[in-house]
Amino acid sequence: MAFVSTGYDPKEPMKDRITDIGPRKYDEFYPPVIAKNKGKWLYHEVLEPGVLVHVAESGDEVYTVRCGGARLMSVTHIREICEIADKHCDGYLRFTTRNNIEFMVDSKDKVKPLVDDLESRKFDGGSYKFPVGGTGTSITNIVHTQGWIHCHTPATDASGPVKATMDVLFDYFKSHKMPAKLRVSLACCLNMCGAVHCSDIAILGYHRKPPILDHEYLDKMCEIPLAIAACPTAAIKPAKVEFEGQKLNSVAVKNERCMFCGNCYTMCPSMPLSDQEGDGIVLMVGGKVSNRISAPKFSKVVVAFIPNEPPRWPKTTEAIKNMVEKYEANANKYERLGEWAERIGWERFFDICGLEFTHHLIDDFRDPAYYTWRQTTQFKF
Amino acid sequence: MAKHETPMLDQLESGPWPSFVSDLKQEAANRAANPNNLEYQIPVDVVEDILGVLELSFKHGRTHWKHGGIVGVFGYGGGVIGRYCDQPEMFPGVAHFHTMRVNQPGAKFYKTDFLRNLCDLWDLRGSGITNMHGSTGDIIFLGTRTEQLEEIFYDLTHKYNQDLGGSGSNLRTPADCIGQARCEYACYDTQGLCYHLTQEYQDELHRPAFPYKFKFKFDGCPNCCVASIARADMSFIGTWRDNIGIDQEAVQAYIGGELNPNANDHGDRDWGAFDIQKEVIDLCPTECMWMEDGKLMIDDKECNRCMHCINVMPRALRIGQDRGLSILVGAKAPILDGAQMGSLLVPFVKAEDPYDEIKEVIENLWDWWMEEGKNRERLGELIKRQGFQKMLEVTGIKPMVQHVQEPRHNPYIFWKEDEVEGGFDRDINEFRKHHQR
Amino acid sequence: MALDYEESKTKIVEKLTKKAKTKSKFYFSDLAKILEAKPREAKKVVNKLVEEQVLELWSSGSTSMYGLKGIGKQASAEQED
Repeated sequence: MAFVSTGYDPKEPMKDRITDIGPRKYDEFYPPVIAKNKGKWLYHEVLEPGVLVHVAESGDEVYTVRCGGARLMSVTHIREICEIADKHCDGYLRFTTRNNIEFMVDSKDKVKPLVDDLESRKFDGGSYKFPVGGTGTSITNIVHTQGWIHCHTPATDASGPVKATMDVLFDYFKSHKMPAKLRVSLACCLNMCGAVHCSDIAILGYHRKPPILDHEYLDKMCEIPLAIAACPTAAIKPAKVEFEGQKLNSVAVKNERCMFCGNCYTMCPSMPLSDQEGDGIVLMVGGKVSNRISAPKFSKVVVAFIPNEPPRWPKTTEAIKNMVEKYEANANKYERLGEWAERIGWERFFDICGLEFTHHLIDDFRDPAYYTWRQTTQFKF
Repeated sequence: MAKHETPMLDQLESGPWPSFVSDLKQEAANRAANPNNLEYQIPVDVVEDILGVLELSFKHGRTHWKHGGIVGVFGYGGGVIGRYCDQPEMFPGVAHFHTMRVNQPGAKFYKTDFLRNLCDLWDLRGSGITNMHGSTGDIIFLGTRTEQLEEIFYDLTHKYNQDLGGSGSNLRTPADCIGQARCEYACYDTQGLCYHLTQEYQDELHRPAFPYKFKFKFDGCPNCCVASIARADMSFIGTWRDNIGIDQEAVQAYIGGELNPNANDHGDRDWGAFDIQKEVIDLCPTECMWMEDGKLMIDDKECNRCMHCINVMPRALRIGQDRGLSILVGAKAPILDGAQMGSLLVPFVKAEDPYDEIKEVIENLWDWWMEEGKNRERLGELIKRQGFQKMLEVTGIKPMVQHVQEPRHNPYIFWKEDEVEGGFDRDINEFRKHHQR
Repeated sequence: MALDYEESKTKIVEKLTKKAKTKSKFYFSDLAKILEAKPREAKKVVNKLVEEQVLELWSSGSTSMYGLKGIGKQASAEQED
């Protein structure tokens, strides 16, 4: 493996350096029908799950075929996407905010060959490469974080639970039978680098044990003041500890103050907190970001803990499927999951979904907690 | 023959949803075969080792990655996240496995020649594994060695005219919805504004001088498809301030059943015949719609632009013509003091190049936050700590009732001296003339 | 008033060296305080100090910190020294 230089000289990093140029400009990548009709679209219609038509003032039409996929993607897979775009779409494509791929064509007769081509492609293991769907009142692709594939503080995996959940919800991805859209998101720890706190259903990884202290190495590997400052609840103090007859500088953690965020571990690798029994999943529901009918809402915790069960997280996917089915059967047309829960009352939501209510589900974290308690005699038995 | 046995991951190859495991295996096989005869710059079996280390995490229920903070490209404080495997002897291919964030194009439109160039670069110099895309919006290159970072950056900038994205205490890579490019609801050019501000604030994006992360997101209408209102320190959400356009003939077509409501996206279930009263008029949050002599009427002054009626009847109703955007500020995920939704700061501003009015708001907020923000305090938390009034003061925006859900619940108003007639300094002797000790 | 670069550099190097025993990484606001300058002014100096390899950056992914190049325990922990 010989090193191949691009021309960069490590001794002179500033030589010919190009910086601050930003991304490529969006309009370089617009398909011609988009470039021509930008800002002049009249209306759209969903022709079937995964297929949209947008009609412009000029009478031009653009047909979009949306397909799902794993956001974790190899260059081989991307090259296959390019091959499809070259074959059907003159080399243009786009991705959506929720990790779907959209192929656009400018006439209706090009739609069926494209859909057929996409649906015919399968991985060796048997799964679809490009399942068409994810529009309208379907359950579209899950947005998520890295998990065990790449992150240092996850409390669960991301790609694994997402694949398992989408397998269970696949029928919903391919159909328009829900009362309204339902968005599922996953973040693999409470720091939520993928902000999932306003999702209809949020799958959240959560640690439940404070960090383990590697006293022997702590002062060698970490700067203690930085570890202390990293803690959002001020649970970490400097401490002298006895180790094999020696007094060592280290830290002490006030366990009852620890919120299990792992921020100390980021600053100090001698404070790991992952744990097979301690880590697992929290389910939150009823959030939304749209301003449609009601204001945007935060998701609420309805299941405090489900253990990690790789490779397919059956308890997690079962709990999600159950809530989805209850929502499908009971909500009004256009009503989001959170709107439904508020209309019937959360006591009824727990009833219908057969969920147990425990003390973990009553907010006790700082000021906002008070606003979640019931301050009326209006409740249901 | 696979390098590592992966019995647990193998179970994620079945089922209909695209399997990332199958994709990783396909990439491992591709690297082993090396059809283009590349001089791979990181180990050939890197993808085998990704599968191996992930299988080990599935077995242990714990991650095997360590964080690294120093690596980056010269002069930038963002765009690279350091990663090391905690079992480097078992998985030497991923011992050093850093992430690079590449700033995605607006609304994630691509041409295949550009995407192929990125693939070729990443194939040669990295793992060949990506995220399309990361949560913030970047193209994520997942896993390379330190010595490749500068080489990749060099080719990105020199050959492909392409820069890295943000991380750390920087402006994060801004992201936008598809907007006017293909959506009739878009009230401004989201790509135009997103690109303009991204270019304008390159220094803020690459060189950290903020107390913490800062996010811009651009939604073309109140449907908020990029979730700006929930996760951006500044969300720019399209809106209008005149009347919803009505095509009465199309209204009749919906009522008569010739057109399917909600752009036909409830089609796989029988919801019965469309009922405009029940499905539109009664669900209007401000009750500002009614039928009169067979015509749909809207009292636009009372409309709060929730989009429901337009979403249900896109061929009959149109967003207004006097368009611009609202700016909401301070949204963030729950860490640490709880989640915050964006709060309305600017109800309406026109969004026209060169966007001077918008940039003035941004820069006033940044000056305040950079001076007053505590380390790792998001803008939303500073607003809470110092008060909404303080933000109005630094931005020079006039208080208005649109800023609140409802007026305050307590009378504890911190009057300022210049607001009270005669000021705070008073003569005690004058007082005592009328009030004994 | 623009900050004098050399003077600023001396201030920062002295202060950070003095603190190096207990702490090697600092937030941007700490540097602005050392310089007794507004953040925007301080930033120009800090950018140049990074470019001249006097300072180096450290990032947790979500936040960033600055330190004197090569100082601190992290470099060896990351096998990047």
